[in-house]
Amino acid sequence: MMRAVMALAWREFTRFIRQPHRVIGSVGQPVLFWLFLGFGFSGSFRPAGMEGVTYLEFFYPGVLLMMLLFASIFSSITIIEDRDQGFLQGVLVAPVPRIAIVLGKVLGGTAVSMVQSLLFLLLAPILGLPLSPLGAVLVVLILSLSAVGFTSLGFLLAWSMRSTAGFHAIMMIFLMPMWMLSGALFPINHVPGWMHAVMEVNPATHALRLLRLPFYAKPADVLVSSEFLVSLAVVLIWVAVCLYLSMVRVQRRERGVPTP
Amino acid sequence: MIIIRDISHTYPGTRKQPVRTAIASLSFQVGRGEFCILSGPNGSGKSTLFRILCGLTIPSTGSVTIGGLDLARESHAVRRILGVVFQNPAVDKHLSVGENLAIHADLYGHRGADLAQRLEEALSWSELKHRMGDRVDTLSGGLARQLELAKSLLTRPKVLLLDEPTTGLDPASRRNFLEVLRRVQRERNMTVLMTTHIFSEAEDADHVAIMKGGHLLAFDTPQRLRARVGNEVVVIVPTDAVSLAGRLVTDLNLAPLRFGDELRLDVAAAADSLPLLETVLARYRPEIRSIAIKQPALEDVFIQITSAAHAAGVQESHRIPPASEKEIVQ
Repeated sequence: MMRAVMALAWREFTRFIRQPHRVIGSVGQPVLFWLFLGFGFSGSFRPAGMEGVTYLEFFYPGVLLMMLLFASIFSSITIIEDRDQGFLQGVLVAPVPRIAIVLGKVLGGTAVSMVQSLLFLLLAPILGLPLSPLGAVLVVLILSLSAVGFTSLGFLLAWSMRSTAGFHAIMMIFLMPMWMLSGALFPINHVPGWMHAVMEVNPATHALRLLRLPFYAKPADVLVSSEFLVSLAVVLIWVAVCLYLSMVRVQRRERGVPTP
Repeated sequence: MIIIRDISHTYPGTRKQPVRTAIASLSFQVGRGEFCILSGPNGSGKSTLFRILCGLTIPSTGSVTIGGLDLARESHAVRRILGVVFQNPAVDKHLSVGENLAIHADLYGHRGADLAQRLEEALSWSELKHRMGDRVDTLSGGLARQLELAKSLLTRPKVLLLDEPTTGLDPASRRNFLEVLRRVQRERNMTVLMTTHIFSEAEDADHVAIMKGGHLLAFDTPQRLRARVGNEVVVIVPTDAVSLAGRLVTDLNLAPLRFGDELRLDVAAAADSLPLLETVLARYRPEIRSIAIKQPALEDVFIQITSAAHAAGVQESHRIPPASEKEIVQ
């Protein structure tokens, strides 16, 4: 089972590396977002209680999250392509547990997003964001966990879809807003009440919160803070629910109804 | 080896589509080491049956046993002995030939020396050996199909299912693919079930199943199916088909069937064909462009069986296929 999972994850990763356009697109777009919005808003970004934080710096963890989101979207689209082009059929008739299909996809997608975000993480010291070695490990762990969450959510959404066009629609009205309302673009405490409520139940908000903390506090303090623990619990539940539902979904086979 | 018992399958209705029954009470068996062709017009239910046999779809009722294992209850064990070649390529075109084979081996849990031997064996007949490092999207259509077959053979399946595997291949590649398939099938005593539209592919099969409208119309050996149509046919291409048809009726008391420019005369006994040809030729030589005795091909059997079902109300129509002539007198 693990060999099958690793083979599928390896395929996902290799496929990504072999398509230079995808590498450039998925790393380049968040970086451009970050540079343009970062410099663009730096002059006007003056939220109360956050003096001394440039928008470039504020937006940085949000871009990390965006990379996870994009990587998950790309790997979810491959599910639809695989079904169309047939690779998936070959896997479905092989003697591998269906769960291996979910895990292979999720691990592969996670590996892809980790490569991107690790590259981006190298920029942190240049920005003047202090990150201790332990803090960096913490950030990487949080990123991996969130990547699993996004990839399994993408899997769940894409599994029943028959066209990539349909998936683009879902992505624009569901996945992108999830990121927009995560506090990546603007601080959560200066928005209208209803939006604040939506943001608080959005798991991406909690993933971002987890991601921000190690940049601004000692890892030892972060790990015991109630803010961190609550958000960690939310993210863990999110990951578990999405993985579980994905597994339930792939187990379900097309079934005939009673003949009239 | 494959036992299909009273399978029915009805697709659930959706907002756009009503409930539809694709297969109705279908039963047949394929013996160990047999090469069986499954055929039928588009919409006959053969794709649904194929999906059921692969274990991708669970039928409404009925059961399938493959190699003594129940497909519904022991699907994992069935998958171990089953190889499938889909109509669409089931390989990753961004990866190389070798990488695709490696993934397939991993999915089936083969490795080490055993895998090396399997690879050698699965590739021995193919032209892929020197293309292992090439990406699949650089392969020709014929080679890409060879890869599909090699991939399936790697796991040494006891039962191999193929869904229109030669679609889109040129005649030479198609013949090559089928020769290899048939040879390997005999060598390994593998049970093969293949769907196809191309009847020349079915001529040397052990059994041919013909489906239409979800029903099994015929299941027999090609010889017996041909015998069912029975008769040889004298095919005449005259300068004026309508006028000659009229005279064949009045002069010789025959019942010609006209298909465009062509007249066909059914002959009850094979021994009568040549005398009939001679009679017609002697009498109407100046008006005849060509004349031939045609033996019934499986295609004719197919047309006859499916259109008989059509007359009996099982739906769908067919065009007349070009005749394959045995001997032509110019």
